[in-house]
Amino acid sequence: MILNSKRWIPYYFLAPSLILLLIFRIVPIFSALGESLFTISFTSPSGKEFIGLGNYIKLFKDPILWQSFKALLKFSIIVNPLQIISALGLALLTNQQLRGIRIFRSIFIIPIAIAISVASVLWGLVLSRSGLLNGILSSIGIPPQPLLTDAGQAMWCIIFIVTWLGVPYWALFFLAGLQGISHEVLEAAMVDGARGIQMFWYITLPLLRRVITFVVVADTIINFVLFVPVYILTSGGPQLATNFVIYEAYRRGLIYGDLGISLAMMVILLLFIGIVVALEFYILRERREKGVFN
Amino acid sequence: MKTIPKKLLSYIALVLVALFVLTPLIWAFSASITENSKVFEYAYPFTLRAFFPAEPTLDYYKYLFFEQNFLLALKNTTILSLSTVFLSVLISAMAGFAFARFNFRFKNLLFIIILATFMVPLEGIIIPLYIIVKSFDWLYTWQGLIIPGLANGLVIFLFKQFFEEIPQDLIDAAIVDGASWFRIFSRIIIPISKPVLISGALVVFVGTWNSFFWPLIVAPNPELRVVTVAISASSQTEHVTIWSALFGGTVIATIVPILLIFPFQKYYIRGIATTGIKG
Repeated sequence: MILNSKRWIPYYFLAPSLILLLIFRIVPIFSALGESLFTISFTSPSGKEFIGLGNYIKLFKDPILWQSFKALLKFSIIVNPLQIISALGLALLTNQQLRGIRIFRSIFIIPIAIAISVASVLWGLVLSRSGLLNGILSSIGIPPQPLLTDAGQAMWCIIFIVTWLGVPYWALFFLAGLQGISHEVLEAAMVDGARGIQMFWYITLPLLRRVITFVVVADTIINFVLFVPVYILTSGGPQLATNFVIYEAYRRGLIYGDLGISLAMMVILLLFIGIVVALEFYILRERREKGVFN
Repeated sequence: MKTIPKKLLSYIALVLVALFVLTPLIWAFSASITENSKVFEYAYPFTLRAFFPAEPTLDYYKYLFFEQNFLLALKNTTILSLSTVFLSVLISAMAGFAFARFNFRFKNLLFIIILATFMVPLEGIIIPLYIIVKSFDWLYTWQGLIIPGLANGLVIFLFKQFFEEIPQDLIDAAIVDGASWFRIFSRIIIPISKPVLISGALVVFVGTWNSFFWPLIVAPNPELRVVTVAISASSQTEHVTIWSALFGGTVIATIVPILLIFPFQKYYIRGIATTGIKG
């Protein structure tokens, strides 16, 4: 029988994963593209009507969409460098040979296991009007802050929460990268007279290039689609200050039921993410550099 | 000596970061054993009672378990996580085995497609995914909750890496003995793959235990409500919340994955470092 022939065997092993990925990952991407060309219609029997790029044109003129992109950009420009640099710092800190360093490493693993939804609820309580943070601030003489309920402070609170949650996670990758650097390379550089910051800049950083590229790309993607803290804590407010694109798309699609517009918004966001990620890969690509070893 | 102050600085930094990480968690625990009306009284203005309540009580855990639907949510999350771990690890290991041990047409193309699907964040396709699951009539069902999350390109990658290291002799010997490939996989490969099975299972477990967005939109009905959704719902209710019980919920939601990964830290970190999945 043909189906028993040996060359079909790998496909049997692959089939369950491939079929599920096709239905639940690949089809949705293309159906988003297709459905974004329709709008709700009360007259057609299918309940929708083909309008071509109509949704995209509508969005282009929509101040709320522009506003949500602006909020998202502002958020990303602050949160990504903050998380990545802090994570690298934490990795360097925990990569030292110190007594008790294992205990600290274990403590820093804790946030990695915590759900972003649970962290958001918990920080929402810490940051509430009469919560722990305002309590501590007041004991050093600082008046209570509105925090999540203030248009100027809400985004900073979200940045703070995802940093608390994300830095230990990304530090894990940097730590793995640092531990992969051979001692011989470092010693050779020491012999050549490299020290401190020089050593870090010309030896450690270039050797971490692959890890850095991964973390930069993965972190940007995750932050571009950040949804949970906004959903739980601010609902996009106050005054749309935290109304990032994905939250706006969620609201239009699943609350107001305008799936076409919502999907068009997601297509624009995914395209935008694609462009940014491509740029990041380009900037961080492998180059021949005038380093110590050339 | 110049090295001592540098060490001291490192310790100061480490302690500060540890405090930053632990403070909200310790407060959550203390608040969960504090009398409800005192929780915010202790915190604002701040007194040390916020961390060491005067009369600690376990009443709110009792309330959480016996008077709320929290027990049901805990049961749902456990069912969801365990079934996802079992099925996801099984099919990912099979796919990883195919990529590691066979040559076939379109192998590289298929592998690239599988990895590329994970460049697209789940949140980004969640609305079209919702539409597909709805067209299957799977809203508010276990299959809608579980099946879309099973296939996982990065866990496949984790298994592929491990299976490539297995010596060919082991497999050749089994082929000589006339074993079928499915027998080789289940009787030879799986039993010697404990480390990668633990890594994969932990990464999938923590990711599923912590999932929120998908359960929120596909199965928000009380019968299928999971812990993360239950906690967020009770933090957002309009009427008075029993704060101590809410804190207790966050403590339980947090402690389960932590207790699981602590004894297996090494495996968990290896799993994360290879796959880079954020739960």
